[in-house]
Amino acid sequence: MPAINKIVLDPLSDNNPITVQMLGICSALAVTAQLPTAFTMSIAVTLVLCGSNTIISLLRNVIPPKIRMIVQMVVIASLVILVDQCLKAFAYEISKQLSVFVGLIITNCIVMGRAEAFAMANPPKESFLDGLGNGLGYSAILIIVAFVRELLGAGSLFGKQVLPDSYPGNGLMVIAPGAFVIIGLLIWLQRSITKKYEEA
Amino acid sequence: MQKDDIQTIRFALIICLICSMALAGVQGSLRGIQERNKQIDQQINVLKALSPDFAPDGTALTEEQIDLWFIQGKVPKDKIPAYFETYVSQDEVSLPKGKTSILYTLKKDDQVVSYAFPAEGKGLWSTVHSYIGLESDLATIRGITFFDHGETPGLGGECSKPWFQENFRGKKLWEDGEPLKFEIAKGKADPVTDHKVDGMSGATITGNGIQKFMNKTFQAYDQAVFEEKRAM
Repeated sequence: MPAINKIVLDPLSDNNPITVQMLGICSALAVTAQLPTAFTMSIAVTLVLCGSNTIISLLRNVIPPKIRMIVQMVVIASLVILVDQCLKAFAYEISKQLSVFVGLIITNCIVMGRAEAFAMANPPKESFLDGLGNGLGYSAILIIVAFVRELLGAGSLFGKQVLPDSYPGNGLMVIAPGAFVIIGLLIWLQRSITKKYEEA
Repeated sequence: MQKDDIQTIRFALIICLICSMALAGVQGSLRGIQERNKQIDQQINVLKALSPDFAPDGTALTEEQIDLWFIQGKVPKDKIPAYFETYVSQDEVSLPKGKTSILYTLKKDDQVVSYAFPAEGKGLWSTVHSYIGLESDLATIRGITFFDHGETPGLGGECSKPWFQENFRGKKLWEDGEPLKFEIAKGKADPVTDHKVDGMSGATITGNGIQKFMNKTFQAYDQAVFEEKRAM
């Protein structure tokens, strides 16, 4: 049984779902043009991850092995719909901007990946923490990417202008390829600090 | 059938039942708030077109208040439906080719302040929706709003930004007895005329699309209702 703080802290850097496991890239590109959307998406994914990991872990001994993937899917999909409905009711503006990407949390490989790899084999408390750690790891990357993209793309942070009006805005940062560039640079930075490289 | 299989089916049924009941419950209890959000959102869009300068009590707003009201949405949103109901009337109009649509009229003390109508058409990737607001002369643009589009953020997506929409205020769609051909320039409008606005750089196709549907929809409304209203 891994130590508790390792479960939470590992996914933040050494085993980050985006920069190391290379999961959840699609939404990391789509919602990071501005900080508010990235922030909301981070919260949504973290909630779903914690919830699905906990529920799957509670059920892990009664889920029939033949249909375990489908059961995981049902639980995840229900949680995502729940989050989507709440956003539509309480954060309508942001839910409009996130549009289809909230629903697509269902297909975010991180969620299903953690359910299958961790929650099926570990007790609820550890599973919850694993979900939290992975959610935070995902959030950290999303927020860094969104910070850079909003700052360089629009000269603002959380919609507030911070660079002088004469700043022209970098068009590359506003569109999805800008996120590829930043995620690539982040991975480079992280690996050159941690000295952990993929074995070729 | 094996005992295993029956248990599997039973488990699947129970899980599905629990999940669907939970979701139905949530959906049912949140529906009211969600529908109200949608209604307020639509009303804000109409109001942005009808009058960026109109306050609940009918007085003109300062720039700062306009910003609060319509752009940042900081004013209590729950007041918007009541405001809308008091000041805005909606009439169904029949357009050429058997289509029907809506004309919104903003009135203060029984005097028409402005009109607004919905217009929509293809941009580059998606359908761009808009409301176009006209002064009571039915010729000058009072306010305009573009929303619900899937254009490229930073390029065609700029159409929903205030700077682009501000562009249109005071421009003419109609002059000397007939509709003008309204133009969205490629980049800066040159020369600046009263029926040409700055375009969005790098978004010629979005601009052309908007230009096309603005002209088309205005002409349809012009034929159907505005000519008659002007003659009155």
